Amino acid sequence: MSKYRAYLRAVLITAEMTLRQNVADMFILFAILFQPLIIAILALWMLQERGGDYAIFVVVGSGMSGLWSSLLFIGGNSITSERWTGTLEALVGSPLPLQIVVFGKNLAQVLQSLGSMVVSYLLVVVLFGLDVSVAQPGAFIVSLLLTVITFVCFGLIIASVFVLNPDVQRWQNGLEFPVYILAGFLFPIALLPGWTTPISYLLSPYWAAQALHSTSSGSGDFSQTLLAWGMMVLSSVIYLALSKKLFDYVLKKARVDATLGMQ
Amino acid sequence: MMKRLVSNVRLFLEGALLSYIALFRWLSPMTYLASKVVMPLSSMLFFVFLGMYATGSSDASFYVIGNAVQMAAVSGIFGVTMSISGDRWDGTLAYLFGTPANRLVIFVGRAVIHVVDGMLGVLLGFFWGVVLLGLDLSQTNPGALALTILVTTFSTSGLGLMLGSLSLITRNVMFVNNTVFFSLLVFSGANLDLTKMPAWMQAISQALPLTRGIASARQIIAGGDLAQVAPLLNVEFLLGMLYILIGFSMFRWFEYQAKVRGTLEAI
Amino acid sequence: MNAIEVRNLRRVYKTTTGVFRRQTKEVVAVDDISFEVAEGELFGMLGPNGAGKTTTVKMLTTLLIPTGGIAKVMGHDVVKEAQEIRGRIGFIFGGERGLYWRLSGVDNLRYFASLYHVDPAVARKRIDYLLELVGLSDRRDEKIEGYSRGMKQRLHIARALLHDPEVLFLDEPTIGLDPVGARELRQVIRNLQSEKKNILLTTHYMFEADALCQRIAVIDKGNIVALDTPEALKKIVQDLTVIELEVFGIPQELVDLIGTQSFVDNVSVEDREQKQVLMVQTPRGAEAVPDLLAMFNGVRIGRVTTREPTLEDAYVRLVGGEA
Repeated sequence: MSKYRAYLRAVLITAEMTLRQNVADMFILFAILFQPLIIAILALWMLQERGGDYAIFVVVGSGMSGLWSSLLFIGGNSITSERWTGTLEALVGSPLPLQIVVFGKNLAQVLQSLGSMVVSYLLVVVLFGLDVSVAQPGAFIVSLLLTVITFVCFGLIIASVFVLNPDVQRWQNGLEFPVYILAGFLFPIALLPGWTTPISYLLSPYWAAQALHSTSSGSGDFSQTLLAWGMMVLSSVIYLALSKKLFDYVLKKARVDATLGMQ
Repeated sequence: MMKRLVSNVRLFLEGALLSYIALFRWLSPMTYLASKVVMPLSSMLFFVFLGMYATGSSDASFYVIGNAVQMAAVSGIFGVTMSISGDRWDGTLAYLFGTPANRLVIFVGRAVIHVVDGMLGVLLGFFWGVVLLGLDLSQTNPGALALTILVTTFSTSGLGLMLGSLSLITRNVMFVNNTVFFSLLVFSGANLDLTKMPAWMQAISQALPLTRGIASARQIIAGGDLAQVAPLLNVEFLLGMLYILIGFSMFRWFEYQAKVRGTLEAI
Repeated sequence: MNAIEVRNLRRVYKTTTGVFRRQTKEVVAVDDISFEVAEGELFGMLGPNGAGKTTTVKMLTTLLIPTGGIAKVMGHDVVKEAQEIRGRIGFIFGGERGLYWRLSGVDNLRYFASLYHVDPAVARKRIDYLLELVGLSDRRDEKIEGYSRGMKQRLHIARALLHDPEVLFLDEPTIGLDPVGARELRQVIRNLQSEKKNILLTTHYMFEADALCQRIAVIDKGNIVALDTPEALKKIVQDLTVIELEVFGIPQELVDLIGTQSFVDNVSVEDREQKQVLMVQTPRGAEAVPDLLAMFNGVRIGRVTTREPTLEDAYVRLVGGEA
């Protein structure tokens, strides 16, 4: 089997196994379902006054908050969770690069967290009886695909950084809401002070939110969407390249410090 | 009688001290910074901005006050529940059940530090509100506000104690915690005008802590005095007591069950 | 070419104690060891807990980077050519962890097979074969969380063999297994060796090393104290007789006192439920018994026997003191 076919196969099997294991995990259920749901409920009530197409805006926005929280808390733990189950050594000792495994895990987890958007959708349509339609379905699907890719790639960075410094794990709490704010999930970043805008531009969730909002609400012109797509592709490439270096460094350090095994 | 009182006081203080030490031992300065400063501030900012977007106005005080007082829930729910269900407790719980120590004192003592912690959190929230979001406290009666904060953190911790007792019977502590915490966001009126909510939502709001505390705080900051909010605060306080009572009953029931079934390990 | 080559291998751990005033301690886990394992050999590392066996295995399986020295597996350096090695070796550390407990046995194997680039069709057949080999075919679809300790250990073995590795590292493979299970596992290991696989085994069971290994390295506190065939190692104690005394609650001072006697080469105490067995190595043979007994004032003694030394006694002699 050629190397790349083997890698692809490994990604798919890892994703499959991750999904199988996650089925019963309550905490994941919470992150994907409950938290975005509650945020959706809040946002729906609050934004009612504004009128307009706020329903789809809330669905997409709360869905994204679920995507990000999942990535942060679950995707971020991709490597450290292997350490907890005692399987990290088996993974590192195998000929498959660890990035491939983490890529597969993140892929499963991001796809799973798309469920947030589905749940929000159901909430809005079924419970609140609001009319929800996507303005540019084709472009929306493309945006979704690119979002998945860029999130998975970003997850590679987070997972390796979190291994480096166990304390960084605690910052998960600190990074959750700032990204909700800076990426403009549920309100435009125009509300924020001007100096934060460059920071927003550096975050790929921002571009993902841009693309998803504009293609679902039909606001803004297509060139903005194209720009967002371009940025997502660019950031994915950068993340992939950066992650290889990070993984090499992290794994070398773990083998020197003897931290592959259980802590 | 005097001796009993003294030993109870000592028990209370020891429990409080232990919680204090436990709280700060696993928190490195970085973690403390992240969960006590960055996280509450960022969640507050999120809802305030959302509120401003929703109402289209630049006056965010409704949301600022609501979210600042909401901070009480961070220590009241998470802090208190964890200190009851945490590992530090499991090892000693079995032994404690064999002593004649006053159960109520043990139970409640665990929550004391979190009431203090909660108050600090709320004060910090108000600080951010003034410094970053233009909250105007000029009309506020400081004593009344302080009392409101105290009573609210007390009642939230009461809820926390009840949830903590629940956690002794179930494994999914974090799940319960997070659900309640986020539900409070919806039902407490921190971000929503409760009068516009359907009746069933208002009913739930009234049964939960924080609701009256937030309403109180809003009135006080608008210039109201203590007499105006006293009825609200009274009920808030009683609610806290009620939760503590329920929680304590569960706690005692749990001890009884553990002794009857011979399972002093929680699960 | 040797399957495994180790030259002056060294591994130091740094540990920090204290929260506010951090103090760093250095622990030498593996202290300058050298050995070779020839092709087709079943080589054993024997030593007490904490001797450095697992650390050595982790370095050889590319999971730990040595602090000093060189190690090569199949001619490849474990640090610089780690990637070349990983596809050709299998390892087990065993124990309760190391498997995905929410997945079934067969799913665990399918997953690891993909990590080792095993072609799916080949993997399917091999998984069936291996499950049969380790006796888990009928439990293959159950989740790992329902497996017993022994079953998990056996699944580890299956996992290590999925990609048909050339070199196998087995770290204490029979620990925690019941006697029957352990015996079956040893037979599996023997069969593997007859299939021309290179095997490095670590254990703290003397009889296991004796029964399975062609050569044994006795390791203690990070050093190799002896390296030879089991027969040769037994010769170390050939001139000795072992006197076994059943005692009940022997005080440590008496044990120490016996150890200082000129006719005593070595003394160790083994706990067996409610009594202890004092094992005294002496070149004087059965003659020494009365002198020994004279030292026991008031301490209860049960049966007294003399016997030929075993590998265990050689080991005690090499490692010194505690069994």
